[in-house]
Amino acid sequence: MAGKLKGQLPYLALLLGAAYLYRAAGHFAYAARPGELGPDFWPKAVLALLMAVCAYEIVRRALFVHAPRVPDADSRPATQPAEGTRYPRLLAAGVGLTVLYVLGLDTAGFFLSTALYLALFMLVGRYRRYGVIAATSVLGSLTFVYVFMKIVYVSLPLGAGPFKQVSVWILAALGIR
Amino acid sequence: MHDVVHQLALGFLHLLSPANAVSLVVGLVVGMLVAVLPGLTLVMGVVLALPFTYGMSVTPSIILLTAMYLSGTYGGAFTAILFRIPGEPLDVPLLWDGYPMARQGKPAQALGWTLLAALWGGLITAVSAVALAVPFAKFALRFDAPEYFAIVLFGLSGVVALGGGSMVKALVSLCIGLLLATVGVDDTYGADRFTFHVPILKDGIEYLTVMVGAYGLGEVLARMELGFVTPPMDGGGKIQTRLPRWREIWRLRPTIARSSLIGVLCGIVPGAGATVGSFVAYGTEAQYGKRRDKLGSGIPEGIVAPQVASTATVGGHMVPLLALGIPGSGATAVILGAFLLHGVQPGPQIFQTEADMVYTIFASMFAAVLGMCLLGYFAIKPLVRILQLPEAVTSAFVALFCFVGAYSARNSVTDLWMIVIFGVVGYLFERYRFPIAPMVLGCILGPVAETSFMTSMIAYKGDWTVFFSRPISGTVMALTILALAYPMIRRLRRVYRAHKTPPGLAAVERELQP
Repeated sequence: MAGKLKGQLPYLALLLGAAYLYRAAGHFAYAARPGELGPDFWPKAVLALLMAVCAYEIVRRALFVHAPRVPDADSRPATQPAEGTRYPRLLAAGVGLTVLYVLGLDTAGFFLSTALYLALFMLVGRYRRYGVIAATSVLGSLTFVYVFMKIVYVSLPLGAGPFKQVSVWILAALGIR
Repeated sequence: MHDVVHQLALGFLHLLSPANAVSLVVGLVVGMLVAVLPGLTLVMGVVLALPFTYGMSVTPSIILLTAMYLSGTYGGAFTAILFRIPGEPLDVPLLWDGYPMARQGKPAQALGWTLLAALWGGLITAVSAVALAVPFAKFALRFDAPEYFAIVLFGLSGVVALGGGSMVKALVSLCIGLLLATVGVDDTYGADRFTFHVPILKDGIEYLTVMVGAYGLGEVLARMELGFVTPPMDGGGKIQTRLPRWREIWRLRPTIARSSLIGVLCGIVPGAGATVGSFVAYGTEAQYGKRRDKLGSGIPEGIVAPQVASTATVGGHMVPLLALGIPGSGATAVILGAFLLHGVQPGPQIFQTEADMVYTIFASMFAAVLGMCLLGYFAIKPLVRILQLPEAVTSAFVALFCFVGAYSARNSVTDLWMIVIFGVVGYLFERYRFPIAPMVLGCILGPVAETSFMTSMIAYKGDWTVFFSRPISGTVMALTILALAYPMIRRLRRVYRAHKTPPGLAAVERELQP
C-alpha cells in the first residue's frame, strides 16, 4: 500500500499543482475580444491535458499496479548498470554548495567563488588528491576567466569590496582590461 | 539538381574560411571526447558548447554543434567495444557484438568495422540531408498556420510516442515544457501569465536555462547522489583500427542498405533519433539478417547495423530542422536554439534567404564525416585518455560550464537561479525516470505551437475542424494520431505475445526492444 502511494505521489502533486495553475489562468487580466480565444486558452488546454494524464496514472496505479507487469520500453535495457547505493547527503551537500556558489558570486566575484566551488565540489564528490584539486580548481577558474572575459567578451561578476580588488588584480595579471 | 551541386560546391569553398574550418575541427574533437566520457551525454555536450557560440557568427556556430553531434554518434563506440561501457545509450547495441569480437582478440577489426559503418552512415546522412531538404522546404512553402500547427503537434507527439519510454511520463514532461513556455507576457494580448508579480518572470523563462539546467546540472546531481562511482580507467594501451577488406564489406551490403534506410527514416521522424535507430537496426538484423542466429557472438553485422543507423539519423534530423524549423531530438533542439540565439529562424525561406549558410552547413557535414573517421583512425588513442579523469573532477567542470553558459546569455545572475531550479527539476526527472527531451522541446516549440494555433483560430473564426479538413494538415493530424496510438498498439501486441511466447524467448525479444 505504501509503495503504491509512493508511486502515485508525484502524479498527485502534479495534479494539485496543475489544478492551482488552472485556477490562476482563469484570473489573467486582459481586454477580451469578442469571438476570439483569450490568452488563457492555451495554458488551460495544456493544464487540462496534464491533469487528465495525472488522473489516468493515479487511477491506473491504484487499480492495476498489483497486476503482473508487462515489460515495456520504460524498463531499462539489461545492459545498463543496476542502480547502486544512493547517497542523499552527498546530493544535499552538492545542492547546498551550488546554492552557496550562486549566492556568493556577486560578493566574492567569479574567480574566487569558482575556485572555491570547484575545490569543494571535488571534495564533496569524495575525491581526495588535494594537489590535483588545488591545481585544477585554480587553473580551471583562471582559464574560464581568460576565455570568457578575453575571448568571448562576457562580463563575469567581479565581486564587491576587497574581493573586487582581488578580481581586478587577477584580470590585470591575465592582461584583461 | 545542378543548382544544388553548385551551391554545395560554394559551401565547400566557404568551409575553407578559418572560422568555419576551426569550428569543424573543434566540434569533431569535442564531440568525440563527450561521447567517449560515460558521464557526459551527447546532448549535454552540445548544450555545454552553446555558450561558446555567442561570440561567433551563425554559420561556424552551427558547424561546431553539428560536427559535435555527428562525431558524438561515433565516439562512444570505442568505450563500448573496448571497455564494455556505452558512452551513449545509442552505443548499447554495439556491446552485444563489438565487445565479444574484442574479447575474441579482434578489437582492431571491431573498431575497423565501426569506422567503416560510421563513414558509410555519415556519407549517407549528408547525401540524404542535401537531397531531401530542398524538396521538403519547397513543399513547406505551401504551409499556412493550420499546417504549421499540425506539423509542430506531430513533432511533439513523435517525441512523446517514439522516444522509447513511458508515454505517460513523456506527456507529463511535454506539458511541463509547454507550460514553461507560456510564462511571461503574452504576445497577442500583452497579459501577464503565471508571473505571480515576480518581475523576472515577466521576461519569460529562457529555454536555454531549462536545457542547460535539466540536461547538465540535473545529470551532475544525479551522478553525485550515486557517489561518482565510475572508476577512472586506463585509457592507453593497444587501441588500433584495422579496416575490413573489400570482399568482407561487399558481403555485408544487405545489412548496410537496411541500416542506412532505417537510420535516415528514424532521423526524419521526430522522436525516433539515433538511439531508436541503433536499436531498430540491430533488431531488424536479428529478424532478417542472413546470419541472425550468430548475432550476439561477435559478428560484423552486429556492429555495422547499429553504427550505420545511428550515424545516418543525423542528416535525417537536419532535414525537418532546416526546412521546417522543427527539431526532432534533444541535440537538434539545441542546434535550433543556436539558430534562434543568432536571430535566424529555420524554415522553408531559409533556403532562399540564407542559402550560403545552409549549403556551408551541408558541406561541413561531408567534411565532418571524413574528419571524424580520420580522428577515429589516428587520434583516438590520446582522446580515450580522458577516461583517466576522475568523475568528480569532470562533473565539477560540467556544473561550472552550465553556470557560465547560462550567465553568458544575458549576463544575469537570475539565470543562474533558474539553472539551479531546473537542475533540481532535471535531477527529479532523472530520479523518477521522466524523459527530459519532451520538456525541452515543449519549451522551444510551445510558442510556435500556440501562435500557429491562435492564428488559425482567428483566421478560421474558431473552427477547429480546419486542422482536419485541409489536405496537408489533415494528413499530418492523422499521422499524429497514429504516432500516439502506436505505443498502445505495441503494448497490446506485447501482452498478446507474452501469453503466447515461452519465457526464455520473451527475454531475448525484450533485449532487442528499443
